[in-house]
Amino acid sequence: MPYEFEEILETIKMTEIEHFDIRTVTMGISLRDCSDRNIAVTTQKIYEKILRYGQAHVAYAREIERQYGISIANKRVSVTPIAIVGDAFGPEEFVKIAEILDRAAGEIGIDYIAGYSALVQKGFTNGDLNMIHSIPAALSTTKKVCSSVNIASTKAGINMDAINLMAQVIKDTAYLTRDKDSVGCAKLVVFCNAVEDNPFVAGAFHGISEPEVVLNVGISGPGVVLDAIRSAGNVDFQSLAEVIKKTIFKITRAGELLGRKVAEKHKIPFGIVDISLAPTPAEGDSIADILMAMGVEDVGAPGTTAALALLNDCVKKAGLMASTSVGGMSGAFIPVSEDRGMIRAVQKGNLSLEKLEAMTSVCSVGLDMVAVPGDTPADTIAGIIADESAIGMINDKTTAVRIIPAYGKAVGDFVDYGGLLGKAPIMEVRKLSSTNFVQRGGRIPAPIRSLTN
Amino acid sequence: MTLSEEKIRELTLKAIHELGDKATPALVKEYIEKEIASSGSYSGNVSTGTSNRVILTSFGVNTTGIVSGITKALSDSKCDLLDISQKIMQEFFTLIMIIDISNMTNDLKELQDIMNNIASQLKIKIYLQHEDVFRFMHRI
Repeated sequence: MPYEFEEILETIKMTEIEHFDIRTVTMGISLRDCSDRNIAVTTQKIYEKILRYGQAHVAYAREIERQYGISIANKRVSVTPIAIVGDAFGPEEFVKIAEILDRAAGEIGIDYIAGYSALVQKGFTNGDLNMIHSIPAALSTTKKVCSSVNIASTKAGINMDAINLMAQVIKDTAYLTRDKDSVGCAKLVVFCNAVEDNPFVAGAFHGISEPEVVLNVGISGPGVVLDAIRSAGNVDFQSLAEVIKKTIFKITRAGELLGRKVAEKHKIPFGIVDISLAPTPAEGDSIADILMAMGVEDVGAPGTTAALALLNDCVKKAGLMASTSVGGMSGAFIPVSEDRGMIRAVQKGNLSLEKLEAMTSVCSVGLDMVAVPGDTPADTIAGIIADESAIGMINDKTTAVRIIPAYGKAVGDFVDYGGLLGKAPIMEVRKLSSTNFVQRGGRIPAPIRSLTN
Repeated sequence: MTLSEEKIRELTLKAIHELGDKATPALVKEYIEKEIASSGSYSGNVSTGTSNRVILTSFGVNTTGIVSGITKALSDSKCDLLDISQKIMQEFFTLIMIIDISNMTNDLKELQDIMNNIASQLKIKIYLQHEDVFRFMHRI
């Protein structure tokens, strides 16, 4: 037999017991050729193009899923940042574009469509401003559309005006979707150093240097890593790193195989495999549990950041060895609402917003799916975004904020979205004012790249 | 298509026997080419890539008729069983088969449905996966 008995059982155990799945196959579609001065023509071109390329996306993914016995949790599409496609339009017209994206996504049966985005780290065009102003309305009238705005980068610095604008947009989105626990904010990401080939929503978009159409894949397998660490027992860190790397190597290989096969079916180029460890609300599919299996009593204990740094680094090293097309975020995700262990740590009072912020400096992606009281002022949210952007800008990495100021809720309450978005306890935010700082406006200059101490 | 050393030897001996003293380089070449073309079965003995093989894994509580149930369904679908390995520990069994599906009359999805039926009748688990996923995960 060309395979060992144990090897075959290991694969079966990963997929059947340890929740190893492909989190997403995301088809990136360029919409740059869909611009027109007439909004009706633009929306029609967008609709037709998404249907033309994406029609068989779900069917092909299902076929490959069955063939290899590994489930693909989400089928998604990302598009060119809409602010670029519709630069000439006003806010109402942008909402029409969001609606047509939603309709196209529904028609082809995908889970999410992402790319209702703008890149404004250096400054706004008129279209960028109009698009950003349209976000609350767009997210409250659509179901599958995800939005992101890049407001900072290591090369450009931090656009504080954009942060202030986005803080208000987040508050408005929370209000407009107040009857559904402010779910609009769960589909809105503010980025520093956004990547162009990220297959994970809500932050995915089809970057301007990407080809006409491409297929990216995002893998997920915290449960597999958790079991590997548990069965390794009490070993030193070098041995632990080895265990994690071996596991990640295998799941990355499987991810790349499936991604390539789906791309082959479509006859489109394969882009990247994003080797992120993305948790789900399922029991055992948790980054928090991995950190605890490494030895910290709970997430938030001293040592948590070091444990996460080790995990994140092993993910990258093993992924790079396993695949020649690594891209996207490629690290460990720590979304609060989507990870049972993180939720538990917040509820017990062990994990604060500040510790979470420290953790984001050593992993992807940032403050993700964090619910805060509905009465948190916009300036405080701006301050949180500025802090997170500073971590990304200085460390030359992607950071993001997906924060939910849940309308009408206070500490002790929950927001509950079900599915992959999960449920989040409202976290306490410090009552200290950031107003005089963030309202200075302008741009925090780009940082120095030498003397890095 | 690749030929095993054994096959090359066999072909050479046949050529010597057939052509004898009349052999010229051109005649030998022609004879060998004809032999290879007329018999596609040479590729059958040697692994020529993996696109037609699936791995069936089954486990559960041991009962009678598991192997016969599975193999009958395979032969009905014209699948070729290449290798089989089984372990029984107390009342539990694990069974792994490597199957060639090049001549299969169903598509893979139909075969998976048939196996799912058998699995639910015998109260066991049966997984049918393309070989590539194991190759990618366990071989560099």
